[in-house]
Amino acid sequence: MLHIKPILSSLMRSKSGPVLLLLQIILSVAIVANASFIIHERLTMMQRDSGLMEEQVLSFNVYNFDPAIDNIQQNVIDQQILRGLPNVIDASSTNMMPLSGSGWMDRYVDSADEDTAKSMPGFALYLGNEHLLNVMGAKLIEGRNFRPEEINTQLDQSGMVAMVSKPLAEEFWGDESPVGKIMYQGAQTIEIIGVIEKLQGAWVNHENFEYSVIQNIDFGGGLKNKTYMVRALPEHIPALEEAIVKAFHAENPNRVIDGFSSLLDMKKESYSNHRLMATLLSMMVILLLLITALGLTGMVMFNIQRRTKQIGTRRALGAKKRDIVNFFMVENYMICLAGGVIGGLLSLQLGQQLMSLYSLPMLPMTYPIAAIAGLLIVTTLAVIFPALKAAKISPAMATRSV
Amino acid sequence: MFLYYCDLAWRSIKKTPMLSMLMVLAISIGIGITITTLNVYKTMSYNPAGDRSDSINSIQLWSQGLDTWDDFQSNITYTDTINLRNNNELALKAASFRTGLAMQSDNQDIEPVLKSIRITDRDFFSIFEVPFLYGERWSKTVDSQPAYQVVIGEKLNQTFFDGQNSVGKTIYLNRKPYQVVGVIKEWNPQPKYYDPLNGAFNDAEEVFIPFSLTEQEEFDVWGNTSGWKFEPMLTYQDRLNSEKTWIQFWALLPTAADKQQLQTWLAQYVEQQRSFGRFTDTAKTPQESFQISDVALWLENNDVVPRDNKILVGLSVLFLSVCLVNILGLLLTKFLKRAPEVGVRRAIGASRGQIFSQYMVEVGLIGFIGGIVGLLWAWGALTVLHAEFNVDPSVTGLDTSMWIITPLIAISTAVLAGVYPAWVVCRTKPSVYLKAQ
Repeated sequence: MLHIKPILSSLMRSKSGPVLLLLQIILSVAIVANASFIIHERLTMMQRDSGLMEEQVLSFNVYNFDPAIDNIQQNVIDQQILRGLPNVIDASSTNMMPLSGSGWMDRYVDSADEDTAKSMPGFALYLGNEHLLNVMGAKLIEGRNFRPEEINTQLDQSGMVAMVSKPLAEEFWGDESPVGKIMYQGAQTIEIIGVIEKLQGAWVNHENFEYSVIQNIDFGGGLKNKTYMVRALPEHIPALEEAIVKAFHAENPNRVIDGFSSLLDMKKESYSNHRLMATLLSMMVILLLLITALGLTGMVMFNIQRRTKQIGTRRALGAKKRDIVNFFMVENYMICLAGGVIGGLLSLQLGQQLMSLYSLPMLPMTYPIAAIAGLLIVTTLAVIFPALKAAKISPAMATRSV
Repeated sequence: MFLYYCDLAWRSIKKTPMLSMLMVLAISIGIGITITTLNVYKTMSYNPAGDRSDSINSIQLWSQGLDTWDDFQSNITYTDTINLRNNNELALKAASFRTGLAMQSDNQDIEPVLKSIRITDRDFFSIFEVPFLYGERWSKTVDSQPAYQVVIGEKLNQTFFDGQNSVGKTIYLNRKPYQVVGVIKEWNPQPKYYDPLNGAFNDAEEVFIPFSLTEQEEFDVWGNTSGWKFEPMLTYQDRLNSEKTWIQFWALLPTAADKQQLQTWLAQYVEQQRSFGRFTDTAKTPQESFQISDVALWLENNDVVPRDNKILVGLSVLFLSVCLVNILGLLLTKFLKRAPEVGVRRAIGASRGQIFSQYMVEVGLIGFIGGIVGLLWAWGALTVLHAEFNVDPSVTGLDTSMWIITPLIAISTAVLAGVYPAWVVCRTKPSVYLKAQ
């Protein structure tokens, strides 16, 4: 059968080699399990769909520094200029860009009575006009968009209406439709008129990333520094940047126009740390498996050289080639399994440490198991070739030198 | 003798090229990864304040209400800023926040540029030891009586004034004339420890204007404004009167007595403010309602080194230990193979110590080569990080200390891995092998 007993006793005779291998496998399992868990976590994070037309949205900043400029009026003119440019599908002012790493957050309550009011979770607060939804390419799944006559220019005006993202609605109102509900901020009331399927906030690491609200305020008028979003086909975007600067400066030269960036680039930038982490850890896992495999191959090759006589003798006494290969494979699997079990426990311990120190989520059992399985495959590959070579040793080799 | 051992080692390495290459590869990859993460960690955790780290202190206040924020905010309110600025017990102190304004000069050929601007007090330049090229900071009176004065950076001076001494000349910020009183030399501490809140590795501002102008000029805040309760903020005055936090406050406290004095003052201050109906979180005593953080603590509290980085350093050290175990196995294999040779050498008079040192030299040599190759790996990896992932260049430059640290780690790893095999082989009994031959 598997002849575990003689293998075990031969392992026991020269302990240092197997012990080192065992140690290496224990450490490898611990590292690979935790690293691949973090990799998976980051990849899942990066794959979250923004629900927007990322490659079609271009944003930029305008800074009007001339005190003579009437910002509210200028905002209206500027948006008309933008919508009039060739190849522009739509344009809107906004107070923040999704996925950009900088933006607004707020939280409203569900009642005017301060004592009983329940606070909503924190959400990204977008301020925009009736064009904003179309510019971003966000999908309205319930209710309606703003009407042009509803648009305010200041935060303190009355007649506030809002569209909320579906995850926020589900979190706070459950299955109930939020359309028609009133949100409160101080004395101000904000009526919900629509639900957006997906709209993320500015910070990709924020726990309330999927919670957003758009309010009917054309905010471009409120500040000297404004952000505009333009939607156009990707092939038109490079030429558009120049056209925008030209058209804006032609209208009034006393402003700085910069910060052109597509939503796709912002997203890439925001996730770059996670991409980096995932890449580095993947490299680590691959190199680790490579080093383990190479080291193992080297050691098995040496063992075979040392045991040439032994193998030859066994062959002479009737052992089949398969038996020789089996010997090395079983030896390997025994070490691997022992190392895997200890390494698995160690990886859970390491995961626990990471969890308490850096508030990483709990390491699921599947990762150590997968790491052990991966290691079994890699070590099989590392051992099988030298073992096949060993099986070719002819019995004569052994008898000759005795 | 050492050179002879080196020669022997080199021959031995050449005799088993595959095995030696495998060992160098293992050690170099381990070193490469460790040095890469260590380098990023080291530059990120660098404290630019050096031995002044203890003296430079930032002040945080627990001005929030009960059950709101769980931590001290890095910023404080405008009200508290003004009161702290009026504390005459503090010798050197500075409020600070960031804004942006469009900059022009009398030279109409230069396009207006939108510049990031630091709004602060005169003492800022002494606290952070900002070096001046021309002129000096604005006078003490400007901190209390606002004046349109400005300190600019060397590079801007080059762009707008051809690098000439521009003191007394005028620049326009949002079309308002400001008089240049000083030009500072290139100054860009990394991390940007005086304000790491919006990007700890962003470049320092190149334009500085007096904080005393804030009220009349109503500068936009290009930083975080945080509130713990609902307060309408429609005008700039609302912002100034609010409980929102958005200003950093620095003080130079060279001695323990200075710190003690400030602590006493702050405790009294909190009590006084409570009588005005502020600082409503009564779960905190006045002594617990403030925090004086030196630069080291400040950098830590503002998470200048991301946790990902710490995880990476930990994992790469583990990785290196796997490499170590790997090499240990390979060395054992290799040395045992040479046991007959050792037997002969022992028989003709080599002492155990000599055999041991011979093998340790060989191991050291492997470690050294591995270290050099590893440094190349690290350099390559850092270059890729910079090119592919927009990691800041100040973090991806190979720190000079790495030239010493790398061979040190590499050789000690190799030696650590080599001790046991070398010990095993030097214990070889000559008789066994002489007999066999």
